[in-house]
Amino acid sequence: MNKTKRICAIAIAAMLAVTSFAGCGSGDTGSTGGTTGGSTGGETTASTTGGGTTVTGDGGDPLYGEGANGTINLKVWGPDAAQEVLKGQCKKFSENMKAYGDVQIEVIPQGEADSAALVLNDATVAADVFGFACDNLNKLVRTGCLLEVTGAEKDAVIADNSEGSVKAATVTDKDTGEDKIYGYPETGDNSYILVYNKDYVSEDQAKTLEGTLEACKAANKKFVIEAGNGYYSCMFMFTGGLKIDGYEEDGETQKFTEYDEAKVVKTMMAFQDLFIKYKDNLLVGEITKVVDGFKSDTVAAGIDGSWNFSHAKETLGDKAGFAVLPTINVDGTDTPIINMFGYKLLGVNSSTKYPNTSIELAKFLAGEECQAERAEKLNWGPSNKAVAESDVVKNDQALSAILAQSANSVAQISIADSFWTPVATLGNKVSDTANPMDEAACSCMHRIAQSNYR
Amino acid sequence: MIKSYKLSRTISDIVIYVVLGGLGLLWVSPLVWLVLHSFRKEGGVSVPYVFPKEYTLDNYLDLFTKTEVFDYPRWFLNTFVVAVFACIISTLSVLMVSYAFSRLRFKSRKTFINIGMVLGMFPGFMTMIALYYLLKAMNLTQTLPALVICYSSGAGLGFAISKGFFDTIPRALDEAATIDGATRNEIFWKIILPMSKPIIVYTVLTSFIGPWCDFILVKIIMGDKRDNFTVAMGLRKMTEKEYKQNYFKQFLAGSVLVAIPITVLFMKMQNYYVEGVTAGGVKG
Repeated sequence: MNKTKRICAIAIAAMLAVTSFAGCGSGDTGSTGGTTGGSTGGETTASTTGGGTTVTGDGGDPLYGEGANGTINLKVWGPDAAQEVLKGQCKKFSENMKAYGDVQIEVIPQGEADSAALVLNDATVAADVFGFACDNLNKLVRTGCLLEVTGAEKDAVIADNSEGSVKAATVTDKDTGEDKIYGYPETGDNSYILVYNKDYVSEDQAKTLEGTLEACKAANKKFVIEAGNGYYSCMFMFTGGLKIDGYEEDGETQKFTEYDEAKVVKTMMAFQDLFIKYKDNLLVGEITKVVDGFKSDTVAAGIDGSWNFSHAKETLGDKAGFAVLPTINVDGTDTPIINMFGYKLLGVNSSTKYPNTSIELAKFLAGEECQAERAEKLNWGPSNKAVAESDVVKNDQALSAILAQSANSVAQISIADSFWTPVATLGNKVSDTANPMDEAACSCMHRIAQSNYR
Repeated sequence: MIKSYKLSRTISDIVIYVVLGGLGLLWVSPLVWLVLHSFRKEGGVSVPYVFPKEYTLDNYLDLFTKTEVFDYPRWFLNTFVVAVFACIISTLSVLMVSYAFSRLRFKSRKTFINIGMVLGMFPGFMTMIALYYLLKAMNLTQTLPALVICYSSGAGLGFAISKGFFDTIPRALDEAATIDGATRNEIFWKIILPMSKPIIVYTVLTSFIGPWCDFILVKIIMGDKRDNFTVAMGLRKMTEKEYKQNYFKQFLAGSVLVAIPITVLFMKMQNYYVEGVTAGGVKG
């Protein structure tokens, strides 16, 4: 009896030990695999692509022989709405590469908002090429999850895409001060603008916030703004002249530069005064209320994100109007409203087994041809300059408006986490028409928001 | 005198019922809203009124027919299978651990109880990343068995309540059974368990509900494998920014349907809650 017990105990202890070692082992290999994969992968591809672009130019193998050892299996992540288009584009890529190897691409639905988290969780099972929102870039680069874009590819990305999108894909090396690019800009429209019902708001009225609100009042309809969310309420501060330039000491968190506090406060007061004046027509709530309001015909205009444009078009048809954020009259001057602007990037996973093919695929998917197709079929605003100039974009009011807005915006690359909550509170106060702030309170609130930053 | 007593009684009753009724309404209102709007035909995410103008079954039908983007029936089945297995395994392990701690006397029993209590105080998601890599080492990530393992393997630590219950069952019963030649094992299955229906029901219910509500673990373990999601994770996905406008009403319908298996199980088992059978077990 005693003996059996002892044997059992030893067996259990051994099992525990083995599993824990197994855990460590895999963890270790996982992490080293990740990091070495990251750095060496980056270096080798850097050198191969760097030196190899000329070879490709001479009609060489763009996959650098990766196709020689059997089928190349790649995984690509893209949002649900883009599945059809993305599958078609991947198929085309496989056909283009037929001469160099058998490329099989699996397209899996995975939205950009979540993809970075999944990659960070375990890069070895993540997609080889994936779309992500640019505010995740630094996290991905810091953990070595992305392959750097180098050589001719880097030059092409800089030359072909809008300045803002390139900036969003750039990380400045802390030690050398060199600008490095880690993603291929995929879209240039991740932001929000003014969406209105043409029956109630004219194109001219949509140019100023005063005009828009007046039109809402005349029609007895609401104006929707999600002022309780830092992503939207930051425009109260940005419009007042708060700027972002460069990075904090850590080299990756965006820094707020000096600004004129009196002016910021004045701008916020101007917003508040307007909101009070039109308080019966103001609806402070979730952004989805814009389209909901169009459906129930209770909303005439609102500030809505690009991801909802298709819903607005579906609901209003030809009556759907889109315009850059209107101006607001501060101290007698019409000041354009400045907002926060994001981009979607395509990244190449550094743990990929086929770095060269993945780079080639990312290049293709982010290229002019694919961006044009997405602009046409999915209504995605392009980051590619040539596509932005195309008729498809020029004739689309929503796309041209959002692209125009990017000129009056702050790029959302790596805002500190502590930014959002205080700014949201500030937004709530500005739009709280029942308990208006005076200038002193406004300035105080604003300082709290400012000092909380980092 | 009697009259005024009656009067004051009636008044206090009215006050109590109004207050309780009000509280009840308040408590039930979100659920009523959920059910009402899961049948709503018009509008998108929200409408500026409480009672929908038109009702339809489409939201429910869409859940089961339009499965290209969100495969709700599949998720429902996944969750059900996981819940059933997790429920069986964890119920057994909780009861067995509790029985051992309640009835057996062995060295360091107290120590084990204490260790169990302390370990039970750590929130489960603390070990999530470690769990993920352990499962990966066993090649189990992105599979349903992984979820069953996660939901049921730590269950034994939740012995406190059922041990307390077992402690109330007189030891005289065990002794009588032992005299009749029963082993410890037989006592557990034939004497203790038949008398512990309320606590079994409690354990079954709590362990069955777990997988329907958790999405943190699923998110980590399943990654991009949408086919193996559970309903909680899938429903959360429906409320993400890019889907919300299109899928919010389906999300409401899906949330209502989640309640069904849990409610059915509860209905089936609630009789046992009342049947406390320990009384009368021992004579004299």
